[in-house]
Amino acid sequence: MIKVKNLYHSYSNDEKYAVEDVNFEIEKGEIFGFLGPSGAGKSTTQNILTGLLQLQKGEVEVAGYDIKHIKNKMFNKIGMSFEQSNVYTKMSGLENLEFYRKLFDVETRNPMDLIKLVGLDGKENIKAGKYSKGMKHRLTFARSMINNPEMWFLDEPTTGLDPAIAATIKDIIRQENERGVTIFLTTHNMYIADELCNRVAFIVDGKIRLIDFPKELKVKYGKKLVEVEYYKNGEINKESFSTVVDEEKQKLLEVIRKNDIRTMHTKEATLEDIFIKVTGRVLV
Amino acid sequence: MIRKILMIFKRDMKVSVRNFITLYIIVVPVIFAVIINIFSPGINDTTVEIVLLKGENSDQEEFFKQFANIELIDTVENIEKRVKKRDNIVGVLPGENDEYFILTQGNEPDYVVDYVRNLTAFDHYGIGLEDSMAEIIDYGRDIPPLKKLMVNVAVMFTSILGGMIIALNIVEEKTENTISSIHVSPVSRMGFIAGKSVIGVFIPIVGTFLMLMITGFRNINYFHALLMITTSCIISILIGFIEGINNDDVMNAAGNMKTLFLPLFGSVAAIELLADKWQPLFYWIPFYWTYKGNNLVLSGGGSFMDIIKYSGIVLGISIIVFIVLAPKIREGLE
Repeated sequence: MIKVKNLYHSYSNDEKYAVEDVNFEIEKGEIFGFLGPSGAGKSTTQNILTGLLQLQKGEVEVAGYDIKHIKNKMFNKIGMSFEQSNVYTKMSGLENLEFYRKLFDVETRNPMDLIKLVGLDGKENIKAGKYSKGMKHRLTFARSMINNPEMWFLDEPTTGLDPAIAATIKDIIRQENERGVTIFLTTHNMYIADELCNRVAFIVDGKIRLIDFPKELKVKYGKKLVEVEYYKNGEINKESFSTVVDEEKQKLLEVIRKNDIRTMHTKEATLEDIFIKVTGRVLV
Repeated sequence: MIRKILMIFKRDMKVSVRNFITLYIIVVPVIFAVIINIFSPGINDTTVEIVLLKGENSDQEEFFKQFANIELIDTVENIEKRVKKRDNIVGVLPGENDEYFILTQGNEPDYVVDYVRNLTAFDHYGIGLEDSMAEIIDYGRDIPPLKKLMVNVAVMFTSILGGMIIALNIVEEKTENTISSIHVSPVSRMGFIAGKSVIGVFIPIVGTFLMLMITGFRNINYFHALLMITTSCIISILIGFIEGINNDDVMNAAGNMKTLFLPLFGSVAAIELLADKWQPLFYWIPFYWTYKGNNLVLSGGGSFMDIIKYSGIVLGISIIVFIVLAPKIREGLE
């Protein structure tokens, strides 16, 4: 669905690249997480992929279209949810969606259905300027789905949302993905990426440091241990067992069989741990 | 593409009428028209008006009708009330011994009073048109020059208002970053620019036509007027885009559009006040040619070729400005 080869971009048109030699491919139906701290080159890459920034150097193909010779009809297949909400504040939520849907040449979704989907029903006739930050963000998110995109770009889709709404948004993302929508998720929130993404790429200082499956990364970078808390003679005991040494595995089975288990955790690394380990940088 | 351009225009119109500043700009041409009507004589008011006592002297009434607008009122008291009203109507009332006296409010122009006095005398002595040896030659000017000048300037001013609204809409798109959302929709950059431009033509056309109707220019060639308005809008639209792109504040954007007033009023002053040898200095200003073209439209004296000539010159200058500004506009909207 997306092919990026030797992508470079410089805002000053010199050798100071904001994005340098970026290469990756995204298969149809994948949720691809593009992770990195602020200023790493996430937005620059995304803006090139969506045609908001002109391609300077490299080869980029999105939904079968060459970005070098961008065609307007490509946008019928693309949806983009911006990090900063950008809706017409003097128009109501419903008017915003009604206006936007008419710009597409393909069958669009019913604006009212989308309003309900993101929990804005009952507020659809209020001017967007009077919406809270979270409501505007949800409207921006809903707008990005109006043309039933095959390729969906999401920039920090849950930023600024309360946990309940964020959970709804994550559910919508999963549902759309199950329908076959390919998703390019840009975020610095490793937990979201961990929950949603099939594959992730770490980008720092404009360069991709790693692309892999989150589960593989956790196995690769995590400790191969299980930490168990159990009750023995009325006291809580805590022990760690290797998941690769046979003798330790047997011990773990013994503990499980003979005692009441209080907690049991594999000592996987989080994506954030892995990011810090791989890039030497903290996500901010 | 046309559908999308119209959608963008429709959105701009909807939002513009919800915004106090843009709404005010939209109704300004009507305000202009009313002001012009108040401060200048109407086209139909140029004929002298006389009020007579109904049924008092039907011969006199018929005689006066050949030369003036006649109003008939039942009583002398009501005639006195009528004369005291704002306009320049003059009463002719019977006095003693078959004599007539002229009743005025006092502030009528001398020529009106003299005219009525002469008419009354001619009627008294039985002098008709057939007794005159004078041959009338006129220059075809039947519209008050001051009124024509005011309407002409107001029409050009209205064309700037369209650019002002564009500037305000672009600032809104920029500050709310809604341009980005349009750029990830199947609307081309040129389609977006075209959609944003429509309001810059629509408002001046509607505003001007309303103004022409209100000020009494109902019998002019409206197709000629349309040609002149459309071409004169282009410069304002281009400047509107540039000001919208260069400003992040609506008041600054609207304020900077005032830069167009200088060449506008400069052109008018040049044509009306300066000698011929200075005229070429103003040839580069599109308003100069617009003013000349509008003059012909308002006086009804211009042929189609004259209008094509003036609107063509304005279009030509606008195209040159477009070639210079188009890359900046495109880049600024990225």
